[in-house]
Amino acid sequence: MTAPQARILVIDDDPDFREAMTAILESASYGVATACDATDGARKILSVRPDLILLDIMMDSLWDGYSLCHALRTSKDFKDVRDTPVIFVSAVRTIAGSRFGFKGEDQGLTGPDDYIDKPVKPDDLLARIKRILMK
Amino acid sequence: MTEQAPLVLVIDDEEVIRDSCSQILLKFGYRVETSADGASGIRKIETLKPEAAIIDLKMPGTSGFEVLEAIPRLDPHLTAIVITGYATVDSAVEAMKKGAYDFLPKPFTPEELRVILARGLERRQLVLEAEALRREKKALEENFITMVSHQLRSPVVAAQQYLSLILAGIVSDPGKLREMIAKSSERLDGLLRLIDDWLNLACIDQGSLVGKLKPVALRRMLARVIETLDPSARESSVSLEWPDRDDPEIVAAADEESLEQAVMNLVHNAIKYNRPQGSVRLGLRQDGAAVVLEVEDTGIGIAREHLPFIFDQFFRVSRASRESLRGSGLGLCIVKKIVEAHQGRIEVQSEPGVGTTFTVVLPLEPSRKDRA
Repeated sequence: MTAPQARILVIDDDPDFREAMTAILESASYGVATACDATDGARKILSVRPDLILLDIMMDSLWDGYSLCHALRTSKDFKDVRDTPVIFVSAVRTIAGSRFGFKGEDQGLTGPDDYIDKPVKPDDLLARIKRILMK
Repeated sequence: MTEQAPLVLVIDDEEVIRDSCSQILLKFGYRVETSADGASGIRKIETLKPEAAIIDLKMPGTSGFEVLEAIPRLDPHLTAIVITGYATVDSAVEAMKKGAYDFLPKPFTPEELRVILARGLERRQLVLEAEALRREKKALEENFITMVSHQLRSPVVAAQQYLSLILAGIVSDPGKLREMIAKSSERLDGLLRLIDDWLNLACIDQGSLVGKLKPVALRRMLARVIETLDPSARESSVSLEWPDRDDPEIVAAADEESLEQAVMNLVHNAIKYNRPQGSVRLGLRQDGAAVVLEVEDTGIGIAREHLPFIFDQFFRVSRASRESLRGSGLGLCIVKKIVEAHQGRIEVQSEPGVGTTFTVVLPLEPSRKDRA
């Protein structure tokens, strides 16, 4: 599979951020699908079968990006797509009170493949996606 | 208090004391367990987690003092009361130093035991409640920081994200370019509103309304609010109705600027959360020494389970509405603060799908004493 035809699912609750991501990804000829929350994201992971997922933490919701990533890796509902690469996209990585550590024990089998801070630098994002898809 | 009666563990090597204590405690409604020596007492504290323990100081093997020393590690909140036949001041003082709540010299009456135990358990409850409050406050603060950082960062991130891809030359279509710049600008406007609202809230918190109260003609004020919001009501196809508009003027002592803002927020919400062809009905009347303002809409309503939270900072009912309605989430919180700063109160009644009514009751003349 060559990277430029790959499908990428963007899961983020901010419509402007989704639109910006879509523009960046389409500029590199990726196919793009979007979802506005974890529930919608879970559905689209199964229907779109993306080659990579850009996942926001969406911490103002109970069923958040973190739980979705965990479910993707461990739940039998996702057993065919369990290994889909996930990049966490977050604006709150280092803020006090955040329960989301990226280097913690969850990284590894059930964590994301990479993480990237918001706002995203277009070059950096595309380089990381390319690197993961080449694996 | 827990729903179950408190469990009291009696640790004493003398069977007579264990039995008599048990009988007394059972009679007073406690649950009771007993241990005949210190070692088994420590085990039972660990496994049964009693609320209180009556401990004999002089026991063969593990002494009462050793039990006391073990308690902080097992359950720092356990109410420990020591009993001793050698009620010397020294041993009592030493027991208290080791964390006993109080001591009972043998022989003691059932009433003495009851009083000391009740007092000890009451203090235990107070300590536990204080700790729970502290924990809750800490969680709120942490959540608040997270919430605020999210609210402040989201618009900046969105705007910055558009700008970064425009700068990177990713978008070349002029129409698309313009649209992205417009959206960035909109998000920054929203951020500005949030910051203003927040500063506003902080000012009201500090009680800056104190001493700013002047006579305010309320009908004239409400008429101004309607005039300001009429265009947005038209845009949303919502009609603004005010049946008692021409009734006599009502003058109340208020801070005009903040009160007008509170009324503006309420009417604005009533338009925003309405349905097309819906209406907003306003009512303003004097009721004794108070003035009553009602804002009734025919909008989406608020679910019963959400009602207790609508005056909280950053609460907004549904995530779906967040996409289309971009407020700071501080509006009702500000309204409530302003109303309370005027020694008034605000109430809400709502039926999903039918509409919501906010009722503000303000004293015509807030008392000066309370204001200080």
